[in-house]
Amino acid sequence: MSKKLLLEHIDVEGIRTYDVYRKQGGYQAVEKALKGMSSDDVVEEVKKSGLRGRGGAGFPTGMKWSFLAKPDGVPRHLLCNADESEPGTFKDRYLMEKIPHLLIEGMILSSYALGANQSYIYIRGEYMFVMRIVEQAIAEAYANGWLGKNIMGSGFDLDLAITPGAGAYICGEETALIESLEGKRGNPRMKPPFPAVKGLWQRPTVVNNVETIAAVVPIIQHGGDAYAAIGIGRSTGTKLISASGNINKPGVYEIELGLPVEEFIYSEEYCGGIKNGKRLKALIPGGSSVPVLPHYLICKTAAGEPRLMSYESLADGGFATGSMLGSGGFIVYDEDQCIVRNTWNFSRFYHHESCGQCSPCREGTGWMEKVLHRIEEGHGTMEDIDLLWDIQRKIEGNTICPLGDAAAWPVAAAIRHFREEFEWHINEPKLSQERNYGLVTEKTFDAQPA
Amino acid sequence: METKQTAFVNGSEHEFRAGETILNFVRRIEGEKLIPTLCDAPNLDPFGSCRVCSVEVGLSAEGPRRTMASCHTPVTAGYHIHTSTPEIQKLRKNIIELVLTDHPLDCLTCEVNGNCELQTVAAEVGIRKVRYPEGEHHLDREKDESHSYMRSDFSKCINCYRCVRACDEVQGQFVLSMAGRGFDNHIVKGQDVSFKESDCVSCGACAQACPTAAISDIFQSKAIEATEKTRTICNYCGVGCNLEVSSTNGEILSIRAPYDAEVNQGHTCLKGRFAFKFYKHPDRITDPLIKRNGVFEKATWDEAYDYIASRFKYYISEFGPDSLAGISSARCTNEENYLMQKFFRAVVRTNNIDGCARVCHSPTALGMQRTFGTGAATNSIEDLKHTNAILVIGANPTAGHPVTGAKLKQFAMKSDNVSIVIDPRRTELAEYATYHLPVRPGTNVAVLNMMMYYIIKEGLVDQQFIETRAEGYEEFKEQVLAVNIDEMEAVCGVDKELVRRAAMAYAKAPNAMSFHGLGVTEHSQGTFTVVQIADLAMLTGNIGRKGVGVNPLRGQNNVQGLADMGVQPHQGAGYLDVTNDDVNRTYNEFYGVEVPKHIGLKIPEMFDAAIEGKLKAMWIMGEDVVQTDPNTNKVKKALNNLDLFVVQELFMTETAKLADVILPGASFLEKSGTFTNGERRIQKVNQVVKPNANSKPDGQIVIDIMNRMGYAQPDYTPEGMLKEISQIVPFFAGVTWENLGINGLQWPVKPDGTDTKILHDETFKKGKGTFLFHSFKESNEIVKHGKDYPFILTTNRDLEHYNSGVQTRRTANVEIHTEDLLWIHPDDAAQFGIQSGDKVCVESPRGKVDIKAKVTDGVKQGVLSTTFHFPEIMVNLVTSDEHCSEAMCPEYKVVAVRIRKSKGEFARA
Repeated sequence: MSKKLLLEHIDVEGIRTYDVYRKQGGYQAVEKALKGMSSDDVVEEVKKSGLRGRGGAGFPTGMKWSFLAKPDGVPRHLLCNADESEPGTFKDRYLMEKIPHLLIEGMILSSYALGANQSYIYIRGEYMFVMRIVEQAIAEAYANGWLGKNIMGSGFDLDLAITPGAGAYICGEETALIESLEGKRGNPRMKPPFPAVKGLWQRPTVVNNVETIAAVVPIIQHGGDAYAAIGIGRSTGTKLISASGNINKPGVYEIELGLPVEEFIYSEEYCGGIKNGKRLKALIPGGSSVPVLPHYLICKTAAGEPRLMSYESLADGGFATGSMLGSGGFIVYDEDQCIVRNTWNFSRFYHHESCGQCSPCREGTGWMEKVLHRIEEGHGTMEDIDLLWDIQRKIEGNTICPLGDAAAWPVAAAIRHFREEFEWHINEPKLSQERNYGLVTEKTFDAQPA
Repeated sequence: METKQTAFVNGSEHEFRAGETILNFVRRIEGEKLIPTLCDAPNLDPFGSCRVCSVEVGLSAEGPRRTMASCHTPVTAGYHIHTSTPEIQKLRKNIIELVLTDHPLDCLTCEVNGNCELQTVAAEVGIRKVRYPEGEHHLDREKDESHSYMRSDFSKCINCYRCVRACDEVQGQFVLSMAGRGFDNHIVKGQDVSFKESDCVSCGACAQACPTAAISDIFQSKAIEATEKTRTICNYCGVGCNLEVSSTNGEILSIRAPYDAEVNQGHTCLKGRFAFKFYKHPDRITDPLIKRNGVFEKATWDEAYDYIASRFKYYISEFGPDSLAGISSARCTNEENYLMQKFFRAVVRTNNIDGCARVCHSPTALGMQRTFGTGAATNSIEDLKHTNAILVIGANPTAGHPVTGAKLKQFAMKSDNVSIVIDPRRTELAEYATYHLPVRPGTNVAVLNMMMYYIIKEGLVDQQFIETRAEGYEEFKEQVLAVNIDEMEAVCGVDKELVRRAAMAYAKAPNAMSFHGLGVTEHSQGTFTVVQIADLAMLTGNIGRKGVGVNPLRGQNNVQGLADMGVQPHQGAGYLDVTNDDVNRTYNEFYGVEVPKHIGLKIPEMFDAAIEGKLKAMWIMGEDVVQTDPNTNKVKKALNNLDLFVVQELFMTETAKLADVILPGASFLEKSGTFTNGERRIQKVNQVVKPNANSKPDGQIVIDIMNRMGYAQPDYTPEGMLKEISQIVPFFAGVTWENLGINGLQWPVKPDGTDTKILHDETFKKGKGTFLFHSFKESNEIVKHGKDYPFILTTNRDLEHYNSGVQTRRTANVEIHTEDLLWIHPDDAAQFGIQSGDKVCVESPRGKVDIKAKVTDGVKQGVLSTTFHFPEIMVNLVTSDEHCSEAMCPEYKVVAVRIRKSKGEFARA
């Protein structure tokens, strides 16, 4: 049984309520911080912990916090990004739904560290039922003196509000989130200026993921060093994984970073193996936008090392033979799944969710979807594969926000690793409508260009 | 020590400026062509959405490179920028190819053919084939032809957001926005309504910004059919927008705003951009007209000239030169105004010459002369970039001075900025202001004394400035501190705490600028209010540097120039005192004749003299005094009492109808010369088309009559006239037609041609600035009539119309704004059973008019407001001939009236 920091008390009856949460040691970290630590001390512990952003990008949280501008007399803000919308990712919902006070406690600690007196949770609009739960918990926290003026007599004030999105994936991008929170259309902003300098209402702002903020609680409780001792290398601590797809036990798991991928898929403690004894065909380890891995690159890297659940190991080999830990949206495909169809499905999602601001993304996502659909339906040509490759290349890196990259990468990876399956769809249109392709053959990657 | 910062463009090293974007850097060095753009526009912030401007950037010559959008990425030292690698060219090509999949390919019949940025960029990147088969598209979007000027056809939209940004960043109207997501992105107006139904103010910034024909205007101003483009200056308000007029075969097709104009940077309003069709309106007077037996008959120029010259000579010899008087025009050029005053001084030999500044900013000139020594704006509008606080008194710039108004609104909308609006009406700017002080009309002096009281009381005065730059402070201070605050609070009707907070904000701002309009001057205490605004600036040291100062928003295109040229009875060209012996000698020598030394008649005095029979003849050039001067019945009586009344006009105005001779003048589009805008900027007006029919440039008409009367004056050319003016007007010393360039010069212009952005930087024109105190005095109008006429009517202007509306009513502006409306508070309206749309009878001791009501809480109880753009209403039938005690500017802003719901149609007194 591995170490659990976030979900330790998840099965305790009534942990959603303040009283039970408090009895289980809740808010002790806040007490510890407000009574004995300066805000800089809190930042220092988070730096020591090696915590990295759990929303997908994996940027060191302590460093992000230290970039926050602190001009005199200008309020600062902490925004919690709870706009969890990436296909295959549902860990934040689980955390907020099951143990909302952990997030609130994390918000208090993080706001204290940043000197923010007004913080916000921006929650996905479809999570309305979760929002009600968090609202209830916020009310309890106010009622018990953990929010509001002069918390615990420390002189620290914090108001916390929760506000829903309206169904746009793009609002999970931090600057679009800020625009939306300001009441505007959720279009991402150009950077610079970064939110740390000019964010919400042009004030210095930090945007962190739900899980990142929750992780600050055990870091303060046990110390940054203790947290850093868990995990492997620069992938410290634990990570929530949303496991889905053709596995026996889909769900949210807290793992110690560094766990072998093979163990995560096949052990009874986690996914419990592939359903119906089928063969593993492909894996998307970090949510729909990260590159898909073919079966021969899942449990081992191209170099033959065991593939681990860590930022570094999952990215080993770059995009040629690796992927990303991302948000931990772990999607497993068995041999019966069609890569072309799945890629088309993702493209449909990104086409629908592109804000439309940048021309490559607005037009390109639509055309990727159309071309993929054509191939999937058996009307594709060989040139279409090159065209797809061309479009994704034009989108990647050429947009204001990373949605363009997120739309491009799955298409690129699918063509990179599963080109023969695309070609089969084109060469055997009739057959491709009747059955799926199965596993692709293993390639050697020695001479593969990046 | 600042080290040189350099970066490389395609291998060659260049110095870049701090904060410069890659795009601007490359364009500065290599010109416009190297990097194509779509979403970038000269007057908008970088947006970074089209990605066509992408370039490759490496940190070393051979190292790895990244693709970056050049429009919003700042240059960093050591960047190796590659603008046109095969990869980049392919990227640009693919992006345009994608854009073209959803754009109609009907270029040959499109109005922007040849001037379409998408077309140009597509050609530059070399699109030959669109590889994407027919798919979803938006080519069937409906056109919007609802509006009198604006047009949209969103099938041509490329989602660049330029229109949305122009609406937001340039005008600040927020009408246009993007709806839908991704491929479904589409521009909407308001809550997805038509242009006509939306809050659009028809400024046309979106149409000008649009790179295709998705948003355009009825004049198709982006089309390139015109054979000629002429740069000139707008003839409406005193902002002085530069216009680029397209014409073919002597016909004007459309107007655009040049981006390189310092005044308006590619922006202008619906008057400047769209309201030009009056110039060819069938109502234009085509020939000289002489009234015989009460009927106007066409005459030749010679007949008219002979008639006028002989009669003028007769009155001069029979009744003396002072039996003649002239009113010159703020709508005409500097050169023409100079000639008009020269005619009266040097040919007729009377100082009976005045202009419309009398009825607008004469108190400004006088008040600022008394305190500073110069009656003109101390600073420039561009100083808004350097200020922290604005104080806007008695001005509604978003309607009266739309381009400056838009800048003030942008300023007020930014949260760090302080804006204070003193106005009886909740103007558009007041909606955005930090502090709005809704004073009772006529009590500006009270509220400003309150502000100064608090500033002195709370020790926020700039002691050093006062000691070194000003005089009279100690006495002034005592007088201000003796003001009874509670009494003044009751007088002006504004909470004293609000006044205090506004005063603190103005005084505490590092830089504060004030702007004022006719709501300051058109009062019995108008000059005193201007003096107070100057006092306030000196008190807080807000004079003599960037971002501060006293800035009257001059009403008309050339009202500044009219005064500069000597169109006033007490000062000749260059504001020189006509009663001064030395000045008199100078003028005598210069004009070659003896000019009169006694002060002439001001406009209201002219009317009195006419009624008394002392004045025999008047010549009015381009001014509709019947419609625009107060107390219409009295004005008419005066004009009817003249022996000879000559009017020089474009149209048969209410004034022209009373004339004996009408001379058809030329509009600003038909002649050349200079206008001086509200920030003392002398700018070139260039003739676009020939004068309509048999009309002539007004300056030439004056010269012809001068010659007929025996004074040799060479024919009208702007070059020649400017040369003459520069020799007599000291602050025009260095002005020549050639050196005015495209953006003009701000006077004083030294002999070597250097101009002046900021006045009074080290010393005041008069040495030290003078503090002068004035206490509040209730207007006679209220004292005499307030009891029987308990409401106060105040007049103002609307965006769509200009003054008497003589031009704008002859354009499609009249379709947008069709009539004068009376603002009335809901409680007052309820008391009289009045609803919006009902006719209200407004009656003053002078007369009564019926005006349609607009029930709004934009005015306080007891206050009414309306415009005077339509002769059908003739609001000036009710206004009084009370005037500023010092400058004789009429008190349009305080009229005692009573109201009732109208019984029937129009019963005029």
